[in-house]
Amino acid sequence: MSKWLPKSAAARRWLGLTPAYVMIGIFMLVPISIMAVYSFLEPNPYGGVLPEPSVAAYVKLFLEYDLEDNLVFNPGYINIIFRSFQLSIMATVICLVMGFPVAYYITLQPENKRNIYIYLITIPFWTNLLIRTFAWIIILGRGGVIETPLLNLGIIDDSLKMMYTDGAIAIGLTYSYLPLMVLPIYASLEKLDFRLLEAASDLYSSRFQIMTKVVIPLCKPGIVAGCILVFIPCIGAFIAPNLLGGGKKLMLGSLVQFQFASARNWPFGSALSMLLLSAVVVALIFYARSARKKEYIQGTA
Amino acid sequence: MPAASIDVRGVSKIYNPGSQQPVKALDTVSLSIADNEFFTLLGPSGCGKTTLLRLIAGFEQVSGGEILLFGEEIAHLQPSQRSVNTVFQHYALFPHMSVAENVGFGLERLKKPKDEVVSTVKRMLSLVKMDHLADRRPSQLSGGQQQRVALARALAPSPKVLLLDEPLSALDLKLRQTMREELKQLQRETGITFVFVTHDQDEALAMSDRIAVMSEGHIQQIGSPTEIYEHPVNQFVADFIGDSNFLDGEIIAIEDDIVTCKIGSESVFEAENSGNHAVGDQVTLFLRPEKISLTHSTDESTDNHRRGKVSNIVYLGNEAAYTVDMGDGISLMAQARPKEDGNLPFAIDDDIAVGYSNRALRVLAK
Ligand SMILES: Nc1ncnc2c1ncn2[C@@H]1O[C@H](COP(=O)(O)OP(=O)(O)OP(=O)(O)O)[C@@H](O)[C@H]1O
Ligand SMILES: [Mg+2]
Repeated sequence: MSKWLPKSAAARRWLGLTPAYVMIGIFMLVPISIMAVYSFLEPNPYGGVLPEPSVAAYVKLFLEYDLEDNLVFNPGYINIIFRSFQLSIMATVICLVMGFPVAYYITLQPENKRNIYIYLITIPFWTNLLIRTFAWIIILGRGGVIETPLLNLGIIDDSLKMMYTDGAIAIGLTYSYLPLMVLPIYASLEKLDFRLLEAASDLYSSRFQIMTKVVIPLCKPGIVAGCILVFIPCIGAFIAPNLLGGGKKLMLGSLVQFQFASARNWPFGSALSMLLLSAVVVALIFYARSARKKEYIQGTA
Repeated sequence: MPAASIDVRGVSKIYNPGSQQPVKALDTVSLSIADNEFFTLLGPSGCGKTTLLRLIAGFEQVSGGEILLFGEEIAHLQPSQRSVNTVFQHYALFPHMSVAENVGFGLERLKKPKDEVVSTVKRMLSLVKMDHLADRRPSQLSGGQQQRVALARALAPSPKVLLLDEPLSALDLKLRQTMREELKQLQRETGITFVFVTHDQDEALAMSDRIAVMSEGHIQQIGSPTEIYEHPVNQFVADFIGDSNFLDGEIIAIEDDIVTCKIGSESVFEAENSGNHAVGDQVTLFLRPEKISLTHSTDESTDNHRRGKVSNIVYLGNEAAYTVDMGDGISLMAQARPKEDGNLPFAIDDDIAVGYSNRALRVLAK
């Protein structure tokens, strides 16, 4: 063994992992630190930042200067954050309600068919999300696929005004991230021992009770993973909110994008991103907890 | 005649009917299981034992015939509507529930009051001697412990019939023997009809009131353990249960209840007549090894004595299995106990006397 290598096995293990730590350090911690630092600086009106410390970005989240230069409470951004969470939770719930039966159905198929279905589920990812979201404008929009036949048949006599609503955003988000719900639920259902379902029905369970008492508890880790995988990109999404919400109904993601692009307020954008990051971290801690519980069940199996 | 708890009438089961390879798992099987009976389905792997249990439990639908549970046709009932519980071969305990929650599962689905659930679970767990592990997860239990939990879980809702699918097959020999006695005792105490599936003949003989021997979707014989062992109806049953010597030959004379057969080129054996045979029939004679007495000099107390030469010995501890070459291409398996000092009574190539009574040698139907 080389004399340069550390003696203890633990130290060698650390040494072996060094490249990974360097990568994580450079490509994750450094950008996040830059973002954290920027959020405490003054904005440069021409883009970028001025090297002067300031908490203005965080103040701006809650307060604004009125005409007499007094700080007053401004609910505008809070409302956007609130709506982001609301829409993201809504999209997550819809994804769950739609995704679970799909995953369950796929699990019940013969093995060779299952792979085909999973392949089909992932097909949308082969096309750009922007283009797929534009498709929804054609579907929902004025003179679109839904409206035109109804208008022609005389069932409605004015536009349904489906575009540029919270509903349109929720549809867009659900559509974008539904596969991310189906896949982890399928992965956990696939591991489910279906003989347990027979045992449950033998012990006087109705179909509904088999679901609630056996299937759902046993694939909870997959459900939680799916919810997080959908919720996190939803809350940072800006394509669906911008295109289907018309940029009027802003969400956190579009707000951040707006700050870096048109508004040229990098510190504020960074502060919003920090907020987003904390939401994600909270969600991941929640996931880690439930995953640990699952490990406890399976690790001892 | 006691009330039948399960009546299986001409039941057939075909898996994947209409497909390329339909599997006929059961072929017009009929049997009737009495109330409070310990009934065993015995047969080699793939003979349809599990299929029959699954039909009774309701996990599969019959392809033909009908099954009656206490006189009631049950084809239309879901598994959850049948007062039948199953102890699965693989236990199928719920991994996300504690031992106590597993045992209480059926009671809770039946909407029993809370205190009754708690007390029944307690009683069941102490019955299977698992009360000290009530809070464990199934995955933290040994195979034998899981088996007991599976048993307690199936017994807790006090079903009228308990179906047990090879519940002891995963256990080691010692534990299996203990569980045998415990199961048998449990069945006596609870008075529940047990339908027990096994491919272990010792298990079947030790525990059952009656045994159905199955092969390839057919029932070969139904009877008490002694009937099955002593009077097998055909070579399959005789071969499957216990060890046997089979001698193929031709009947050359019949006199009262004694049949005389020619075996090999010139040997003549006399056997008990078990049915309608005629001179000239090709038959198989059957003789249990333990019915043969091996001695150095001729044992006058037996009806038949012949001489043979020891050709092989298998030492089994409490006894030794001898293969004796009788000449004329005939060899017989027999047993002898080791002597007081532990040495075996005969050695290879010893010339010994082989004796058996007339009633021990039987004619089997072809
Ligand atoms: N779901 C199924 N689809 C097709 N064929 C099946 C199915 N289940 C069982 N079979 C076939 O039916 C026959 C009887 O199977 P069964 O499981 O009843 O046997 P068994 O007597 O329980 O055997 P073992 O002792 O191995 O458990 C076998 O040939 C088996 O291959
Ligand atoms: Mg079986």
